[in-house]
Amino acid sequence: MSENPYMTYNARILEVKDLTSREKLFTLRFLDPEVGANFNFKPGQFVIVDIRGFGEFPISICSSPTRKGYLQLCIRKVGRMTKFIHKMKEGDIIGIRGPYGNGFPMEEMEGSNLILVAGGLGMAPLRSVLWYAIDTGKYENVWLLYGTKAYEDILFRDEIIHLLKHGEAMNCSVKLAYEVESPSCIYLERGFSDRVCKGVVTDLFRGEEFDVNNTYALICGPPVMYKFVIRELLDRKLSPGRIYMTLERRMRCGIGKCGHCIVGTSTSIKYVCKDGPVFTYWDALSTRGLI
Amino acid sequence: MRYIKLPSENFEKFFKSLGEWGTMYAPVKRGSIYSFQEVHSPAEIALDYNRTMLPPKKFFFRPREAILRLKNGRWEEEVEAEPMVLFGLHSCDIHGLKILDKVYLDEPADPYYKSRREKTLIIGISCMPDEYCFCKSLGTHFAMDGFDLFLHELPDGWLVRIGSVRGHEIAWENGELFEEVTDEDLANFKEFEEKRAKAFQKELPQEGLADMLDLAYNSPVWKKYADICLACGNCNMVCPTCRCYEVCDRWMDAYKAVRERRYDSCFMENHGLVAGGHNFRPTRLDRFRHRYYCKSYFDPSAGYNCVGCGRCDEFCPAKIEHVKVLEEVRGSLK
Ligand SMILES: Cc1cc2nc3c(=O)[nH]c(=O)nc-3n(C[C@H](O)[C@H](O)[C@H](O)COP(=O)(O)OP(=O)(O)OC[C@H]3O[C@@H](n4cnc5c(N)ncnc54)[C@H](O)[C@@H]3O)c2cc1C
Ligand code: SF4
Ligand code: SF4
Ligand code: FES
Repeated sequence: MSENPYMTYNARILEVKDLTSREKLFTLRFLDPEVGANFNFKPGQFVIVDIRGFGEFPISICSSPTRKGYLQLCIRKVGRMTKFIHKMKEGDIIGIRGPYGNGFPMEEMEGSNLILVAGGLGMAPLRSVLWYAIDTGKYENVWLLYGTKAYEDILFRDEIIHLLKHGEAMNCSVKLAYEVESPSCIYLERGFSDRVCKGVVTDLFRGEEFDVNNTYALICGPPVMYKFVIRELLDRKLSPGRIYMTLERRMRCGIGKCGHCIVGTSTSIKYVCKDGPVFTYWDALSTRGLI
Repeated sequence: MRYIKLPSENFEKFFKSLGEWGTMYAPVKRGSIYSFQEVHSPAEIALDYNRTMLPPKKFFFRPREAILRLKNGRWEEEVEAEPMVLFGLHSCDIHGLKILDKVYLDEPADPYYKSRREKTLIIGISCMPDEYCFCKSLGTHFAMDGFDLFLHELPDGWLVRIGSVRGHEIAWENGELFEEVTDEDLANFKEFEEKRAKAFQKELPQEGLADMLDLAYNSPVWKKYADICLACGNCNMVCPTCRCYEVCDRWMDAYKAVRERRYDSCFMENHGLVAGGHNFRPTRLDRFRHRYYCKSYFDPSAGYNCVGCGRCDEFCPAKIEHVKVLEEVRGSLK
């Protein structure tokens, strides 16, 4: 293996699946089985994807480490490089380095309830947590509160609908908020009137009570979402140390060198790539500019 | 520490012997500014220089360099490093390198930086501060480590401090060039350092600085200066501790590409830009303040991210003064 941390490992695209019109799910496997076997990651970590000759970009791992032998990335087409990878097909080779970042403290949270709060693309890293929790069965109850723009934007729609129907058996309850009305949404809302509603993700907190001493909240979504969700959680007296969020910043190196992801002030410089991307609300209180 | 004396008449021989280690770079005068350049004789060196425009970081973390090369679909790395001698580094620049080491040698180490660092001999030299220097305030005016040899000017030669095993080896192999340090030399050394300590014109008081800057986040002083700032990024380029980089892939021909990195500046608008056009530091004010916060961050194990070299002041086209900004921001706290 190379000592060079900028070198990437070849991975084959096993499958490309359209999730929505903008997001595709890429299932990958490392060409070298030894690299694959040594690639251990935690939910919440990310990788740097390398398209040789076109550049690199960070993407959260959206599969669970409990499901071995492959790696899944959910990639939204937003610009030059993501457009490029959206054109790639099964069998194509890309480079991967990582995993990077700290990930969620899955072990520390064992035995507790998990509230996953996802907004839009924020569903991607939280899907790794969701399947990890379901597969290991080490958590009391798992709630997924998912805010999406429209029915067509629901990521992993089949899985979400499956969990709406059968989640109970896995100690998992899913709630969904959509902003744009459509026949499909209304149909879903009729079927699950207690769990699907028109509105934003914070509306899903309405009427929810939870045992603050035995619950952790894990948040991922667009920058504007954090403050509102955190307010809901603090109103219910959840400790800032039990609120975890995963953040996005511009990243180049992923390993604390290039300086792009630095946040904070003279008393609190942090690197989102290595000190995060998962932070607690305590971190946000002591690090200006984190959220 | 071991101390020896290099008499003036042996300087040239000493210089030659260093040249055997590797390519020698030292400060030379180019027009009105100094810069580290390859040298072949002591006559080329400006021993009494104040500061070079680009700090010695350029030898380890290059303004632009290839990190990987793509050949027929495969990345190849080139971690080549030639042995080098950096002659005549001032104490602040040695501290600057130590701060870069914290970043680039921290695991996983940057292999390019690391191999160059390992193959480079660092020879420090004493200096007199000018109107821009404030290293004394930051404790970076004297280097206790981070060099192989450090030369302190004496009336008739140099007092040499040996700071590494390699430094010992050089002194050992050239034993005939050195003498024992006499009481008179020590008195001269002491006198020079005392004179130097009194020569600083600029001071940055440290008491509670980091906290006061943080508390003054909304100070109008940031805006006052951000309005004058041209956002040229010069201050980042010349700073011995700035080390942000941007990466870009470039095709050479149909089969070959390189992945290059080059200096980046937090004054550039896209420094904090992410997908979907969201910018975490959208205004010049945000970016200006960010640089000051980054420089004034105090790492308990490495100190501030500023070594007081005064480059950002000397080379700022808007004549913005680092210490003055910080003092005014602190002063604006009611
Ligand atoms: C920790 C982390 C996890 C992420 N996880 C996902 C994910 O699971 N799914 C997903 O779709 N997206 C994710 N992103 C965002 C993704 O990295 C950007 O969408 C992608 O870099 C955009 O590249 P582009 O060339 O297509 O976009 P362009 O808009 O063309 O980008 C312009 C330039 O900015 C850079 N850039 C833009 N956004 C970012 C960014 N956030 N970080 C670094 N560089 C950026 C690009 O590299 C490019 O050079 C994540 C980002 C981070 C930091
Ligand atoms: S050198 Fe001066 S003008 Fe240029 S970005 Fe720095 S502070 Fe602004
Ligand atoms: S901030 Fe200015 S004075 Fe401080 S190290 Fe950088 S260039 Fe030198
Ligand atoms: S991504 Fe380069 S320092 Fe964090």
